[in-house]
Amino acid sequence: MFKSMKYVLHENFTNLYRIYSISKYELLADMRDSKLGLFWNFANPVIQVLTYWFVFGVILEKKGVNGIPYIYWMLGGMVVWFFISPCITNGCNAIFSKVNVITKMKFPVSILPATVVAKELFNHCCLMLILFVLFILAGYYPNIYWLGLIYYLSCAAIFSISLSMTTSVLNMMARDTRKLVLACMRLLLYLTPILWNIPSKLPKMIKMILKANPIYYIVQGYRDCFFFHKGIWAYHNYMLVFWLITFVLFAFGSFMMYKFKHKFIDMI
Amino acid sequence: MNTQYAIEFKHVSKIYSLKSKDKKNANDKRFYALKDINFKIPVGEVVGILGTNGSGKSTMSIILAGISEVDEGEMVVNGEQALIAINTGLNQQLTGLENIELKGALLGLSKKRIKEITDGVIEFAEIGDFLYQPVKKYSSGMKSRLGFSINLCLDPDILIVDEALSVGDKGFAQKCIDKMTELKNEGKTIIFISHSLPQVRDFCDTAMWIEGGMLKEYGDIDTVCDHYAEYVDYYNKLSNADKKKERDDKFEKRIIPHKHKNFFERIFD
Repeated sequence: MFKSMKYVLHENFTNLYRIYSISKYELLADMRDSKLGLFWNFANPVIQVLTYWFVFGVILEKKGVNGIPYIYWMLGGMVVWFFISPCITNGCNAIFSKVNVITKMKFPVSILPATVVAKELFNHCCLMLILFVLFILAGYYPNIYWLGLIYYLSCAAIFSISLSMTTSVLNMMARDTRKLVLACMRLLLYLTPILWNIPSKLPKMIKMILKANPIYYIVQGYRDCFFFHKGIWAYHNYMLVFWLITFVLFAFGSFMMYKFKHKFIDMI
Repeated sequence: MNTQYAIEFKHVSKIYSLKSKDKKNANDKRFYALKDINFKIPVGEVVGILGTNGSGKSTMSIILAGISEVDEGEMVVNGEQALIAINTGLNQQLTGLENIELKGALLGLSKKRIKEITDGVIEFAEIGDFLYQPVKKYSSGMKSRLGFSINLCLDPDILIVDEALSVGDKGFAQKCIDKMTELKNEGKTIIFISHSLPQVRDFCDTAMWIEGGMLKEYGDIDTVCDHYAEYVDYYNKLSNADKKKERDDKFEKRIIPHKHKNFFERIFD
């Protein structure tokens, strides 16, 4: 178990330049694909946000949370969902989409989930810049708590990589995995308290389960950094649960990676 | 460990599983892609691998390159091996230059090393101003020239060339042969997989003939090539029914019965 984790970590850290180059050129190729290129990276989330805001904010007249208007409250959490969601769906396909590479050369397969996340990281940083401008215009000025975003962003990245390790290997064994993950993403968006706040009248048990969701920990963390300023330590229970889940995912994912590292070529 | 050998195969077998015709039959068959292969290739030798379609040449090349693992036996490799295949890792949207950088990175080269080889690749590929065009605009010859050039500039100890010369015109093929001769003179081990007998005869020192997943002959280039040519002639002269019988015979030898494992057994065994 520890041997496989050591192997995966070693492979990832000795190939940082490879990860960087692959994600850089993937991004470039993506942009060349369409005429407007980078524009779609922003247009897509903006249209989605407007849809949710229209349905929940305008039609259902959702009130703000703790005095924060609904649109800003939603944006604060939604922005990180726009990072995690493509990481999970593309991460699942990380190995399979690179089949023409791994069948033709000796290649450290376990770095592939990291390349997907690195690519999305760039998109996320662009979105964050826009969001910062928006928040400053709305009167939420940057302060020391915003630095916590870096911590939560790395949480999101590590979580996505760990999850993708498992799903990408499973996807090589049975392509159904990707279909399942795609189907679950919509579910996950609505089950995670991103668009709605956890109502206080829910039974305690359900609340606990909702809060144990690792994605909720990250979403909650983002909002805390933007608006509530309670600090990272205020959520130490959830932190523990989050890292426990992430660790288990990573351990299982690297175990699978290690076990099948030479077998991928026979699974196509 | 014996360093005078570049590659050593000890009873190497590679097994693929086959799906049976009717789904109810849970006993899938297993199939020897390569069966009990033994040989030693000395350092600096140029070996041609011959064989008809489906004899296991491509399987051999990915095993030699270290991409696929052997199922039985052992392979000992002294040195860094590289498989030269065309069109890998070329991204259609990127320009030629960006593709050189990307492919270099995929192969695990450092930034400095990529810079060093770039000029060599550009010169060797002869693509001129197309360097700054997206690869999707390239002709198929240009694409393979670019892919091939990047691989050739890598400078590994052991080169595995898999049917790479069947594309590109005569002029470029000759250029590649010249480049490989240069590498040969530097003392690199080259494994040359090809259908083309004349190319193999010209270029290689020794030859290996694989038939039906088994090593039929390994030795002096002329002897093996003659025997192979004789076999191909003999096979072509057979009537269709005899051909089929010959194929079935070969196929039968490679089959081993096998119990099907389910999804969870595959993860946890």
